[in-house]
Amino acid sequence: MDDPDALTGSDRRHYMDCAACQASNKGMADDARAAATMLSAPELKLDVETALKRVQAAPAAKPRFGFSLPVLRPSTRPMFAGLAAAAIVAALAITAFANILPLFQPKTVQPVPVTFADLQALEQLSAYGTLTWSTQPKPQIVLTAADAKAISGLDVPVVSKLPAGVSSTVTYAAMPGAVAVFTFDAKKAADAAAATGKSLPKLPSGMDGAKLTVTVGPAVVEVFGDMNASSGTNSSSQNINLPQLIVARSAVPVVTSTQVTAKQLEAYILSMPGLSPELAAAIRSIGDPTTTLPIPVPVEYATSSKVSINGDPGVALGDNTGLGSGVIWIHKTNVFVVAGSLKQSAAVDIARNLK
Amino acid sequence: MGVNLEVAADGRRRLVTTRDEAFEALFKSEYARVAGIANRVLADPQEAEDVAQEVFISFHRLHSASAQFAPAWLHRAAAHTALNRVRGRKRRERRELAQAPEEGSRTVDPQRMLEVGEDRRMVRAALARLAPKPAAVLVLRASGLSYAEVAQAIGVGTGQVGTLLRRAEAALRKEVTRGTSI
Repeated sequence: MDDPDALTGSDRRHYMDCAACQASNKGMADDARAAATMLSAPELKLDVETALKRVQAAPAAKPRFGFSLPVLRPSTRPMFAGLAAAAIVAALAITAFANILPLFQPKTVQPVPVTFADLQALEQLSAYGTLTWSTQPKPQIVLTAADAKAISGLDVPVVSKLPAGVSSTVTYAAMPGAVAVFTFDAKKAADAAAATGKSLPKLPSGMDGAKLTVTVGPAVVEVFGDMNASSGTNSSSQNINLPQLIVARSAVPVVTSTQVTAKQLEAYILSMPGLSPELAAAIRSIGDPTTTLPIPVPVEYATSSKVSINGDPGVALGDNTGLGSGVIWIHKTNVFVVAGSLKQSAAVDIARNLK
Repeated sequence: MGVNLEVAADGRRRLVTTRDEAFEALFKSEYARVAGIANRVLADPQEAEDVAQEVFISFHRLHSASAQFAPAWLHRAAAHTALNRVRGRKRRERRELAQAPEEGSRTVDPQRMLEVGEDRRMVRAALARLAPKPAAVLVLRASGLSYAEVAQAIGVGTGQVGTLLRRAEAALRKEVTRGTSI
């Protein structure tokens, strides 16, 4: 009833005869006009370049080793798919090189320098198949270590001594295992090839519908720092404070494949026409001849070095901005991460003294 | 997944060697609208730019510029941050009003309020007295956002925007009348 012109047939006839409807509509129209008039504002003359420079110069806007904690916000769900695709390609490449089938379990970690273009390229993988979750990742935020253990089945690592300045307020996130399946789709691949004007190379037998299954988690994450203390004045802008320290533990990802070996699948995808050099490079570069879990190290922002955590080899990431650092290592069948706005030596120290 | 996510999430954030480029693109495409929303609330171009820049800095600190929710987040944050500033201003104004009671006794015709800065401030004070959601709906729509964009920014279905808007318009009119005839 907002707009009499939008009425049809009997509604319109009713409107023409009904004083109440007309009055109500006039009232609404008056309100709208009044609001528009009242909310007029002086003209803005913007210098976008200058404003951009000012924003970029703000110290807080520097890249830092902060985590935006995707587990905390449902709005970041689409990212899960992207990450899963990345994990799958990584797993696929590693599996292929390691040639251990049907089971793959990384035993150590290896930093791999990557650029943003590499990661973006992984999204193109969706042109060759479908990614589905057979078990959705269901991260939950809980208040106690016991709850986190109940969900994940993992003992929550205990930080024996918190560095000065790190809040003792802990938020736990926990997740049961999740299973993602990448199914190679001959038709999609043919379409992708056709888009480049070429035909698909001959399919190895059993290739169509070949599945690569990646199991991730279960996992627990401890976030130190008061996440709810709003840095703004209202909660609506979704402000959360950056965590000071994150300690995480997860079962190592496990990859299995059906019908074809992962190496065949990888080789075949690499032979596809129209495969961008970036995606090919990403698939090749992530692979490592040993059973390693690749740690993507963004070359511009971080440096990595090898460290030993109580006998297990690990990788320490230092941030060139000096604002954060992290350590990742594998102990038995679990991956551990300690990261935060800390000095690298502090992160390594926490890692070595984790109980 | 937690761990992998941490690694990957961190990797993703830091992987963005083009992160700055992505942010720059987002800034250039949204700055005028974000500043426009703030200006709609504040009726003060300079303060509006302050708010817009503050909003972008917070966003940059918390999120990736390639996030799908980026524009909606920015619009909403601009409206609420600016409204909060007006609320602060309103408290100041109330003190001033108490000192000059004769000011509050006149009535104002909304149609004629346009020209005077003082009246603009009264409208803003009335806006700040509305509940946050209707206030945001009014401001976002008046800033030229489509129903769909308003809906995304305040997190309601597109179908609800029309009703919310109509109620908010009526409420604003009532608030202005009330506020100017105390």
